[in-house]
Amino acid sequence: MSDLIALEQLTKHYPGQEKPAVDAIDLAIPEGEIVILVGPSGCGKTTTLKMINRIIEPSSGIIRLQGEDVTRADPDDLRRRIGYVIQQVGLFPHHTIGRNIAAVPRLLGWSRQRIDDRLDELFHLVGMDPAIYRDRYPKELSGGQRQRIGVARALAADPPVMLMDEPFGALDPISRERLQNEFLRLQGQIGKTIVFVTHDIDEAIKMGDRIAILREGSTIAQYDTPETVLAAPADDFVKEFIGSGASLKGLGLARVSEVSLADWPTSVISEGREAARRELDSSDHGWVLLLDEHRRPVRWAEARALQGEGSLDRVGLEVRAKVEPTATLVGALESMLGSRVGVVVIVDGSGAFLGTVDMRVIMSAVESMRAAAHKRVLDDRQRMRAGQEPVASDIGVP
Amino acid sequence: MSGRTLVDDVPPRGENDPQRVNDDAAPLVGAADPTRGTIPSGTRPTSAGARARRYLGLPAVLALVCVAVGVYVAVADLDDVESRLLTFDRIIDATLVHLQLVGISTLVVIALAVPLGILVTRPAATRLTPVVVTLGNIGQTIPSLGVIVLFAILFAPGFRGAVVALVVYAFLPILRNTIVGLQQVDPFVIESARGMGMSSGTILRTMELPLAVPVILAGVRTAAVINVGTATIGAFTNAGGLGGIIYGGIVQSRPPVIVVGSILTGVLALLLDHVLGVVEEVLRPKGL
Repeated sequence: MSDLIALEQLTKHYPGQEKPAVDAIDLAIPEGEIVILVGPSGCGKTTTLKMINRIIEPSSGIIRLQGEDVTRADPDDLRRRIGYVIQQVGLFPHHTIGRNIAAVPRLLGWSRQRIDDRLDELFHLVGMDPAIYRDRYPKELSGGQRQRIGVARALAADPPVMLMDEPFGALDPISRERLQNEFLRLQGQIGKTIVFVTHDIDEAIKMGDRIAILREGSTIAQYDTPETVLAAPADDFVKEFIGSGASLKGLGLARVSEVSLADWPTSVISEGREAARRELDSSDHGWVLLLDEHRRPVRWAEARALQGEGSLDRVGLEVRAKVEPTATLVGALESMLGSRVGVVVIVDGSGAFLGTVDMRVIMSAVESMRAAAHKRVLDDRQRMRAGQEPVASDIGVP
Repeated sequence: MSGRTLVDDVPPRGENDPQRVNDDAAPLVGAADPTRGTIPSGTRPTSAGARARRYLGLPAVLALVCVAVGVYVAVADLDDVESRLLTFDRIIDATLVHLQLVGISTLVVIALAVPLGILVTRPAATRLTPVVVTLGNIGQTIPSLGVIVLFAILFAPGFRGAVVALVVYAFLPILRNTIVGLQQVDPFVIESARGMGMSSGTILRTMELPLAVPVILAGVRTAAVINVGTATIGAFTNAGGLGGIIYGGIVQSRPPVIVVGSILTGVLALLLDHVLGVVEEVLRPKGL
C-alpha cells in the first residue's frame, strides 16, 4: 500500500502571529483510505487540509501527490487533480446543477457527449434524478441535496484524491447521518483517497480508516485506526478528546438505579458513640453516616464530632444531599457538588439508606457509556463497510 | 475595511435587491416607477401579456405626458418670448443634447469606474479600496453646480466641460456599486471555484462579474438618473440640453417655459430609470 499524499515538515506561519498555525506536520495518507483530521477548533486541521491543494500556500515544507513534489507546481493544475468539498458547498448560484457538476470537466475541455454521460452517472451515484435536477438552480435545493451535488461536483473528473472540510457539518443531525452513510457506501464503490476534516470525534470514528488527532499547531497526538485510538489512546489529550461532548448528555439520560452504588460506613444513632467510632476507624473514609432506627440517614459525623459523651442527634452535619434511585446521574452529580462530604446519599422511597454515589461511581458510568457508544459507532461503520443493503429510507432524497 | 460600510443599505447576502442599493436615486425618480417595489425582484413575468404591461406601462404614460406638452405648446396662447423659446425644433434639439450629455458621461464612467472597482477589489490591492472610495466621495460631495462650473473653467465651457463634470459627479455610485457588488459575492463560491482549479481570471469572468452584475447595474441606473437632473445645470456653462430651456424661462421670467423644460427633464429621468430597470432584469443571471 503506497502513500498517495505525503506531507513533509509542512508549516504555515501567518505573518504577525507568534506561533505557526501548522507546525512542521508529517503525514502520510495511504491510497484508497479515508484519513480524518480531527481536533479542537483552532488546532490547524483546516489549514492543514487547505495546504494540500494550496488554497492556503504553505510557508515551508513539501507536499507530495503520487510521489511527485507539487509544492511549487501550477496550483490550478494541481487542484484539477483533487476534488474539493467544503461545508458551505459553494455551489455556483447562477449556474444550473448540471453545469455546477460539470465545472471541472469543462475546465479540462471534455467533449459534450462525455460530460453528458458523466453527469448522468454522477447524478445516479448521489441518488438524484438528472431529469428533475439537472436544469434547476442551487437555490431550489435543500441543504442535504446541495451537499450531495457538492460531492458529485468534486467527483466529476474522477480525481484520485478528495479533500473534504467538515462536509456534513452544516446539516441537521438526520440529514447528516444519512449523508454519512451514503458517503461510506459511495466510497465502497469509488475507493478514493480522502482527507476529511471534522471536529466531531464520533464522525471521525465512523468515517475514518485512520484518524489523526491533532492538537494546537496541527501537532499529531495520535495517528491510527479508530479501533486503536479508542482502545489505546496515546495520551491524556487523546483520552479527553475521545470522551468530550457526549458524556454530560449521557449522564442526563442515565439513572442512579442503573449504576452500582458505593458502600459507606454507617452507624445507627441508638447504638451509641462507641459503635460509630469503631465503624469510622475500620474504614478509610473521613466521615461516618449516622442513621436513625429506620435506617434513614440523619447526620454526617467526623472523628472529632464523635469524641466525648451524649446523644448523637445533633453532632456533625445534617445530611442534605439525598436522592432516590430514579434521579438522573446529572441530578446526583449536582447534589454531590453541593455536599461537603463529596458524596450523595441514595435512599429508597421510605428514606432508608441504600448506598452512596461519589465521583468514582460517576466516572465509571461515563466510561461504560463511552465504551458502549463507541462500540455502536464501530458496529455501524462495519455494517456500512460490509456493503450491506442500505435501509430504504437512505436512498430517497429528503 | 469592508465595502459593506460604504453603502448605507446593502442588501443582506442572498436576497439581492439591487434596486435598493442606492435609494439616494429615489427623490429624483419619485415613486412612480412601477418596477420599484411593486414587483418582487427576481420573479419573471409569466405571461407575455403581463410582461408587456409591465415593460410598456410607464413608457405609455410618459408618452401621453409628452403628447400633452406638445399639444400645450402648439395650442396655448404663448407670447412672443415664450413661442421663441418653445419651438419644437428647440425642444427636440435640447432633448437630444441632454441625452447625449447623460449617455456619453455615463458610458465614460462605466468605462472608468468598473475597471477601477475590479482593480481595487483584487486581493493585492484591497488596501487601496478606502483611498479610491474617498476620492470618489469627494467628487460627489462637492455641490453639483460647483463641479460643473469648476470643470467648465478647467476645460472648455460648453458640452465637453459639462460631460467631464458629469463624469466626476456620477463616478462614485458606479464605483461604489462595483466594489460592493464584487465584495458581496459569496466567498465560498470563490473558494470552491479556486479549489476546482479555476484561474483568477476565469473566476472574475465567470463568477464574480456575473454575480455582481445586478449591483453594478443598479449603480449605473442611479448614476444615469442623477445625471439627467445634474445635466440641467450644464446650461449655466452653455452646455445646452433641457437646462437651456429652463434657464431661458428663468432669465425671461416665463413660467410656462420653465414648467415645460422641467416636465421634460422629469419624463427623461423616469424613462431612463425604467429602461435601465428592464436592462437590469434582463441581464440579471438566472438562478439568483
